[in-house]
Amino acid sequence: MEQTLVAEAKDAPREADLAFDRLYRSSRDDVYAYVAGLLRDATAAEEVTAAAFERAYRKRNRFDPRRGEPRAWLFGIARNAALDELRRRGRQAELAAEPADPRTLAADEGAEHSERRLAVSVALERLQPGERELIALKFFAGLENREIARVLGTSESNAGTKLHRAMTKLREACDGTD
Amino acid sequence: MEPTRDDQLIADLQALRPTPRPQFTAELDARAAAGFPRRSWLPQTLPSLPPLRLLIPAGGAAAILLAIVFALSTGGGSDSNAPEQQGSSSGLLSQVEKVPDHAVPEPSASAGEASAAGEASGAAAEVESSVPAAPERTLASKAPAAVPFHHRDVERSAEITLAADPKDVDDDAARVFEAVHANNGIVMRSSTQEGRPGEAGATFDLLIPSAKLDDAMAAFSDIDAVRSRHEATADITAPTVASAELLKESRARIDSLLAQLEAAETEEEQEAIEAELRHERRHAGRLATQLSHLHKRADYSRVSLRIETGGKESSDGGGAWGIDDALDDAGHVLTVAAAVTLIALAVLAPIALIALLAWLGHRAWVRRERRRVLS
Repeated sequence: MEQTLVAEAKDAPREADLAFDRLYRSSRDDVYAYVAGLLRDATAAEEVTAAAFERAYRKRNRFDPRRGEPRAWLFGIARNAALDELRRRGRQAELAAEPADPRTLAADEGAEHSERRLAVSVALERLQPGERELIALKFFAGLENREIARVLGTSESNAGTKLHRAMTKLREACDGTD
Repeated sequence: MEPTRDDQLIADLQALRPTPRPQFTAELDARAAAGFPRRSWLPQTLPSLPPLRLLIPAGGAAAILLAIVFALSTGGGSDSNAPEQQGSSSGLLSQVEKVPDHAVPEPSASAGEASAAGEASGAAAEVESSVPAAPERTLASKAPAAVPFHHRDVERSAEITLAADPKDVDDDAARVFEAVHANNGIVMRSSTQEGRPGEAGATFDLLIPSAKLDDAMAAFSDIDAVRSRHEATADITAPTVASAELLKESRARIDSLLAQLEAAETEEEQEAIEAELRHERRHAGRLATQLSHLHKRADYSRVSLRIETGGKESSDGGGAWGIDDALDDAGHVLTVAAAVTLIALAVLAPIALIALLAWLGHRAWVRRERRRVLS
């Protein structure tokens, strides 16, 4: 996982800008993947991703490295933005299992791959929203367990336990769809 | 080596990872390069709202300013009562203070009260020549037009208290005499007491020509540190004019009686006229005395001067501003600043508490709603 650092608030603004730029470039696609997985709406995901980076940029001088890693801080902002969007739309969060249609996967991957991924996508939809969010943070955004724990406001062991349970349920759901 | 089922599942999940459109990433990169210009929901013509961290100090400054204005206005109201209370203690004048020359307050003595005056003096003629006659109806009605505007009879009085060290009381008393004589004043009564601080002191009852009252007060203020000073004025034009008018009428009546006396033919008629003449002359005498008394009240100002010892206002500098005065002033400034701060806090604290509670409530509500979204 690529590490970025955000300069402390007491540093020069120039350094803070550079640090934020590094964070942006390393996390842009991950944030989008997580938000798109949460919203199941590509257009809304783009809006929320842009809004999340804008919020983070405005708050970049208030980031305190002692309270966590920059990526966790950024994903916390993105999560709040995504949940606010869901609240605004007045619908329950539906963690997307199919932001990318498995049927549009590369043809050279073969029918077996496509069918298996379609099964995974369907199984994802059967999970609880919170469990799907865990999987999105882990495998769509690529966060480590300690970062997930920071985003969700829980301990790393608790996040790991929940993730393990979610993966177990996902595997069982995949078996059920086979 | 065959991949495990978990590895396969993870690979499938990663393959399902959403990817952004290239156009979107290009636009976002451009916005990032530009420093994420704000996409306000407000019309672009409206100025952007200042950040909260600017609004909070601005609101605090406004509240403090309001508190200062409130404190000053409240303080001014309480101060305005003090001179009246002091003026009433002198027992010299009415509560009317600093009456402008063009104003016409209610007279402190009516024409009828003039009849209670003592013996007559020769001042009546002088007043008659200096005070224009006014119609009797206007005197009785006390209307503003009753008294001519170009001349006012104003009675003035003053009280001043000086702070001195016990060893300086005699010297200060001597300087009071000098100041009185220099301003052609009269020492009605004086008393000097020696002793320890708080016991030693002096009191003076003075009559100072009204025209020189300001000079005299300035001279008294230079003698030692001024602990308190109070001046009052009362317009006595109305009773003066009324007395002069009545005196004029009485003298005309006397002249008329004298003419009747010369023309009287019988002894009984002469005796009756003489009796009426004696009565009228006594009446004229009382009016003249009253007029003279009023005239003296306008010409001379009563001044009550006290020299006190003890208390923090007493200074060795003999009125000069020194370290003690500076400390006193600094303490006063700090006291006022503390009072203003206290008032500001009293205003701000409830507002801040309400704002804090509202903010905490909103934050808790938002967090709960966010949790509900995923539940």
